[in-house]
Amino acid sequence: MSDYQYILKTENLCKSFGSLEVLRDVNLSVKKGEVICIIGPSGAGKSTYLRSLNQLEKITSGKVFIKDELFLHREHNRTIHRAEPEAQKAMLLEMGMVFQRFNLFPHKTVLENVMIAQVLVRKKTQEAAKKLAEEIIERVGLSDKLDVYPSKLSGGQQQRVAIARALAMEPEIMLFDEPTSALDPELVGEVLGVMKGLAKQGMTMLVVTHEMGFAREVADRVVFMADGMILEENTPKELFDHPVNEKAINFLRSVL
Amino acid sequence: MSKFKKLVDFKNWQRNTKTVAMVILAILVLIFVLSSLNVSEQDMLNNASPAVKQIIEEEKTSSRKSLTITYNDLGVISYISFTTSGASAIKESYVGFAGATYGADEGAWKFAGQMVNYTYRMLGTGENLLHGVKLTLLLTTLSMVIGAIFSVFLALGKISENKVISKISSAYIFFFRGTPLLIQMFVIYFSVPGIFGFAWRSLFAAGDPEAVYKGAFIAALIAFSLNAAAYCAEIVRAAIQSIDKGQNEAAKALGMSYGQMMRTIIIPQSIRRMIPPLCNEFVMMIKDVSLVFAISLMDITTISKTIMTSEGNYLVFIPALLIYLVITAIFTFIFGKIEKRLSIYE
Repeated sequence: MSDYQYILKTENLCKSFGSLEVLRDVNLSVKKGEVICIIGPSGAGKSTYLRSLNQLEKITSGKVFIKDELFLHREHNRTIHRAEPEAQKAMLLEMGMVFQRFNLFPHKTVLENVMIAQVLVRKKTQEAAKKLAEEIIERVGLSDKLDVYPSKLSGGQQQRVAIARALAMEPEIMLFDEPTSALDPELVGEVLGVMKGLAKQGMTMLVVTHEMGFAREVADRVVFMADGMILEENTPKELFDHPVNEKAINFLRSVL
Repeated sequence: MSKFKKLVDFKNWQRNTKTVAMVILAILVLIFVLSSLNVSEQDMLNNASPAVKQIIEEEKTSSRKSLTITYNDLGVISYISFTTSGASAIKESYVGFAGATYGADEGAWKFAGQMVNYTYRMLGTGENLLHGVKLTLLLTTLSMVIGAIFSVFLALGKISENKVISKISSAYIFFFRGTPLLIQMFVIYFSVPGIFGFAWRSLFAAGDPEAVYKGAFIAALIAFSLNAAAYCAEIVRAAIQSIDKGQNEAAKALGMSYGQMMRTIIIPQSIRRMIPPLCNEFVMMIKDVSLVFAISLMDITTISKTIMTSEGNYLVFIPALLIYLVITAIFTFIFGKIEKRLSIYE
């Protein structure tokens, strides 16, 4: 189907802030079309891991591969290898990111939020960008809000726009950094609904989440992280019903 | 509802908007009535004493003029004075107001006449752009615009990751905020031509009688712009850095370059936060412009000081203060409007 084995892979990814080690040798491989949920207690490094993938955090050491090609290799805070700028940009655009706090551009309308990067980065014409934006906004169910500013939307609606904005760049992988953590409980469902739809369409997704129900239902694999390490990795059924790692057992007992 | 309909729909206006609108309307009507009633120069001449009229008649045919006629028309009120020098010195003045003419040689009308005359001179009426209020407004506006544009680059330089650019920008800001504006202006007006061997006035045609003023104006404009840039740079930097880091990250995650992010995401959002401190800076600048007295430019302050020294009338500062207040009020109002317009998405 594809000419690569893993769409995304990290080897021995480490990240420390000063003497604080946030990530310790994180190895993870993601195949195209997989939905992986990362769970774990707060402070486990889940968000940092996600942010390291698309360069919002500088890793201390480790390798990041995208479509089996070495994208970045660092050791002891030094860059050993980095893809050429053009290739690097193309590889970064394979990843779409959705943030916990939405981070919509408040001075742009919903439509403009979804269009702007298409025009500036993908160099599309206004018409083409608008056409795709309208299509995607319809998919997240906000066609009636095209010309509204984000401040007039509910949290759930804002997050759906943020998802649309990331999708408009036509990424191959979507990274979700606790997409429902900042939402009121009654708004969580609409965002998860959109994400389920995406998963059904075969989008590769990496989701940091506290929604265990979502993980159990949608994920192909669930990864349990604590203290900057991946401690357990399994199908949702196995991991939720028969956890092996002590910390995972404790964590699941406290949240389920 | 269309914008126009909203505008005409008085009933739904907010109460204080109504009050303000009524007051402005009342003032406008008053101004209109008063200015249509204002006494013309010819009528004022007809009111002069027989002695003055006689001199006017005599001097119509002679080339020797001993009578000085000063006519100041401020629209709603006007002032005329006749003075001669010599043994039989004549000195009389009149104020024309609301269709009537009043002798202004003593009492309240004398005061009114003086105020009209001083205001007229400070407004620089009948003079070119380099006099009075016009000079103040021109210098403030131009140097703020130039300074604000330059300051964006300074601010971006200061927060740049490039150490050299950052240090140069910081040093510039430190220098211009750390030294007096007056001395900066002296350096540009006196020292720079001294070092490079030119004169500011020689930038203009030799026969131009205003060349000295124009040269001084250019020097002042440069000094004020460079100084404003330093102060505005700190405002711009603070505003840029006050934007949520998430905006930065979202733009990066979407693949935008640094320039694209600054131009389309960060700076447009920070502009609204810059408006109140920029307004403050602007208002300070209006008054700092009075420093140009030191390089012989005739702004409001210089004119009032000149009148004080030559005529010894300490009341001259009343119209000076009022003029500054009116200018400041107008600009504060404009900046407030801009801020409101820019807050549309909040």
